[in-house]
Amino acid sequence: MLKDMKELFKEQWEHHNLIFRMAKFEVKGMYQIHYLGSIWQFINPIIQVGIYFVVFGIGLRGGRPIDGDIPFLLWLLMGLIPWFFISPTMVQGSNSIYQKVNLVSKMNFPVSLLPTIRIVGNSFQFLALLVVLFIITLLYGIFPSVQLLQLPYYLLSMYMFLFAFTIWSSTIATLIRDYQNLLQSMMRMILYLSPILWDPMGDRVPDWLGNILKLNPFYYIIEGIRSSFLGGDWFFEDPIYLLYFWTLTFIMLYFGSRMHFRFRKDFVDYL
Amino acid sequence: MAKVEFKNVSKVYDMYAKQSDKLLDLLSIRSKKSTKQFWALRDISFEVNDGETIGIVGLNGSGKSTISNILAQVIQPSSGEVTINGVTSLIAISAGLNNNLNGYENIDLKCMMHGLTVEEIEAVKPSIIDFADIGEHINQPVKNYSSGMRSRLGFAIAVHTDPDILIIDEALSVGDSTFANKCLLKMEEFKQQGKTIFFISHSAKQMKTFCDRVLWVHYGRLKNFGAKKRVLGNYVEFTEWFDQLSEEEKKKYKQNMLRKQYTVQEKTKRKQADKKNKWTAFGHLAMFIPLLVLGALIVLGY
Repeated sequence: MLKDMKELFKEQWEHHNLIFRMAKFEVKGMYQIHYLGSIWQFINPIIQVGIYFVVFGIGLRGGRPIDGDIPFLLWLLMGLIPWFFISPTMVQGSNSIYQKVNLVSKMNFPVSLLPTIRIVGNSFQFLALLVVLFIITLLYGIFPSVQLLQLPYYLLSMYMFLFAFTIWSSTIATLIRDYQNLLQSMMRMILYLSPILWDPMGDRVPDWLGNILKLNPFYYIIEGIRSSFLGGDWFFEDPIYLLYFWTLTFIMLYFGSRMHFRFRKDFVDYL
Repeated sequence: MAKVEFKNVSKVYDMYAKQSDKLLDLLSIRSKKSTKQFWALRDISFEVNDGETIGIVGLNGSGKSTISNILAQVIQPSSGEVTINGVTSLIAISAGLNNNLNGYENIDLKCMMHGLTVEEIEAVKPSIIDFADIGEHINQPVKNYSSGMRSRLGFAIAVHTDPDILIIDEALSVGDSTFANKCLLKMEEFKQQGKTIFFISHSAKQMKTFCDRVLWVHYGRLKNFGAKKRVLGNYVEFTEWFDQLSEEEKKKYKQNMLRKQYTVQEKTKRKQADKKNKWTAFGHLAMFIPLLVLGALIVLGY
């Protein structure tokens, strides 16, 4: 039953060197034509953080901190920095097979690496921003607690979810092109349904609404990363939520790998 | 043992009137009875031995590129059997280089994708650069290249990845005669090394000097396969006959031939889902039960 899934992981593992080398070239190719080069990897997020801070932090919240003592800007950064990684990776990862299959099908190179290469390629920026976030947290006078130890767990959750999602999604996006447009609109919507720009656990939001929003897997990831930095709950303190997240990821991976191997040979015919 | 063997190979494309029909077919829920089909290749069988050089000729749209794509395993045949004993490398005009990267980086990237290690790439790099012969441009992004330079670089990389079956799909028609000669010399070298080569071209002249046997595809069917002298003779005879036809007759001939490539496929009734299938479907649905239960618990605030 798990044959496809095993095969999928085997391919990734056997080619892990290739994945990293290809990812490096992807990033290089993306920024080489710009005069400011890879500085754009930082300029883009800074501009966006600035806008969201003015609109949501100052405009809507009047600069009030979250939960009484967490500065809004810091709280916002902890949501936006993962989001700047998650959102483009999901969109580009889904598009990766459609975009590149023509190139790679002529070579002995498994197609399933394409979404992974995107994930790894975007990780360089993300990990750099994560270090910046860590420094900013220190500058705010918030020092790491034991809970920082669970950051690797939440990063692993995020990567597993992205991997499962892009395998599933890249297959659909190749077969049905409309899906890519739908996904782009959905991502814009999910930004507002995740605890990134506003706090769904604040007192103005009824409990039932907050609970429904928790079904969104990004809620799990982003709140988890925040709790690692700010010393919140441990990840095993909410086993039901943990199980929910991993069941969802598993289902995506299961159907994703099945579909991927079912259609792999026909991808070129669908271009 | 044959190096490459095609056994009754066909490639059929469904012709959909609407884009939505394609989707419905994909989900196999279409109610419409029949589909129009186009036979890009029909019932092609041939055998090629190790070390042979095979020319493939035919008019535009006769299925040459479909054969080369099947040989390179880019596409799968719809029916029939393809046996390929070795590693193939397809050299086509669309070299597939990354436009934003420069020549060096593209060499790295493409060799990497062909499965070469870092050391191997460093070892072949000078000879690739030398063969492509594009001078200072090697430091420039590929988007600044002329089309000739691009195909030269693509060709240079492809021949240095050490394939044992080469498929050359009209790649030589872009370069100037100096480069074409250089490529032919390289091909000659490959031939000496006993590699199998498929050579797709309109130019009967290049083929005459270079190929052992020639395969003529004509509107999706194998018209002729055998000694180059005989097949090329027939082919040249045919093109001469075809060229002297009036425009009207040419059109009529083409339409007539194309009509034979279209068929209407009656949709066969779907076989009743066997028990095993039913159980897997049931198992798949069962996987969602824990998710729904957990989701409900979260919404209810457990």
